[in-house]
Amino acid sequence: MEIVRLSALGGLLGLDATGVGQFMVSRPLVAGTLTGWMLGDPSLGITIGVVLELYLLVSFPTGGARFPEGATATVVAVGCAMPYGGAGVVPLAVAVGLIWGQIGGATITMQRHLNSRLVPEPGGTRSRPRAVATAHIAAITIDFLRAVAVTFTGVVAGRAVLGILVEDWPLSIPESTGLLLVGGAVSVGILLRDLGGFRRRGVWFATGLALGVVGARFL
Amino acid sequence: MRRALSRMAVASTFARSFLIQGSWNYHTMLGGGFAFAMLPGLRRIFGSEPENVDASVERHLEHFNAHPYLSSVALGAALRLEADGTDPETVRRFKLAVRGPLGSLGDTLVWATWLPGVAVLALTLFWLGAPAWVAALVFLVVYNVGHIGLRAWGLRAGLKAGRDVGRLLGSANLMGLARRLQPVVALLLGLLIGAVLNAERGLVDARALWAVLATAGFLAGLFGGHRTWRPAAAAMVAAIAVIACWGMIT
Repeated sequence: MEIVRLSALGGLLGLDATGVGQFMVSRPLVAGTLTGWMLGDPSLGITIGVVLELYLLVSFPTGGARFPEGATATVVAVGCAMPYGGAGVVPLAVAVGLIWGQIGGATITMQRHLNSRLVPEPGGTRSRPRAVATAHIAAITIDFLRAVAVTFTGVVAGRAVLGILVEDWPLSIPESTGLLLVGGAVSVGILLRDLGGFRRRGVWFATGLALGVVGARFL
Repeated sequence: MRRALSRMAVASTFARSFLIQGSWNYHTMLGGGFAFAMLPGLRRIFGSEPENVDASVERHLEHFNAHPYLSSVALGAALRLEADGTDPETVRRFKLAVRGPLGSLGDTLVWATWLPGVAVLALTLFWLGAPAWVAALVFLVVYNVGHIGLRAWGLRAGLKAGRDVGRLLGSANLMGLARRLQPVVALLLGLLIGAVLNAERGLVDARALWAVLATAGFLAGLFGGHRTWRPAAAAMVAAIAVIACWGMIT
């Protein structure tokens, strides 16, 4: 029953990413919080969501670009981590999430090709208002089912992988955190480059860095 | 005989604009979603002439692409042009002219500035010790104030200005707003790194090796840009797999 609820959540959050609303409930930070809350361990959900958010800081659903699907990836990562404990849970779940994000992204590309055939052609025989509305709702429904299937298979496969690997994870929790933040740092570097790079934003970035170091010490 | 747009038709178009990407495809891109969102307004305008609704829907099905939030500007303006009885070729040319600017403006303002900025703000709050649900709530509320506000402003601006919406967009100076926000996001990004380096939830208990590797990762992203993201994610997955297998063997 739990896996059905997870799949339904993955389906709904997958819709938010592009097709319906884009309120960003689908971002890993929120999706992780919601999934953890639903499964009864909000702190694990939030921890995984925060790490994946850091990784996907520079991933946006822009136009025709192929992007990793953060919503289903986060539900899968939190869903497959939940039955296990120990220092290896978060890094292994994040790895599953990163792989499933790519798989989810590939299915979005497939769905968009399918939509090309579904949406009535201008000048075709089906371009009456009812046909346009029906095709549009059908595409949204298929998107929901796609995200459900991606989440379901991800949780099943991810739980099997974690079941094998999690017991023997050799790093401590602080070292595992350090490992995960190495990957997150790449996204931070990319974002600073997008904002104008160190040359243009160096003073602002350095001021923030100093405030952050001091703030973290005292708060 | 064309009728004026009603509040209900405009509200319905606004609600449907949230679904505009529902049938996004590589052929007409937002075309299907644009026609779907226009339907309530077109039915109102051409109420007693269903053949005109059909013809108009057919025109709006054509290829269109823009940022999803700012496409409400084009929706509003296209509705206004249809209500004013503008000839179809002018409406088509108008849509062709605005799609590029609405796309690049939205990408710069929303995807490259507003979304990462609010996400960085929420992550910083988390790493500075705020309860995680507070960070998630702050993200959702702050982000959507901008998101929904931009959609509503866009639709209203399009309906008001019609074909002259370009001038209105210019005076709103959304690109200038993005440029003013970017230093603030850079400040928040620095704040986030500082918090991660020194917070209990961050690197403070990890060995210095991880801080050195994280600095190398940051520099790779800074100098390599977006093309480094996928190889870095693949390297991270590979590293986790190798460490896990090493743990099993030893």
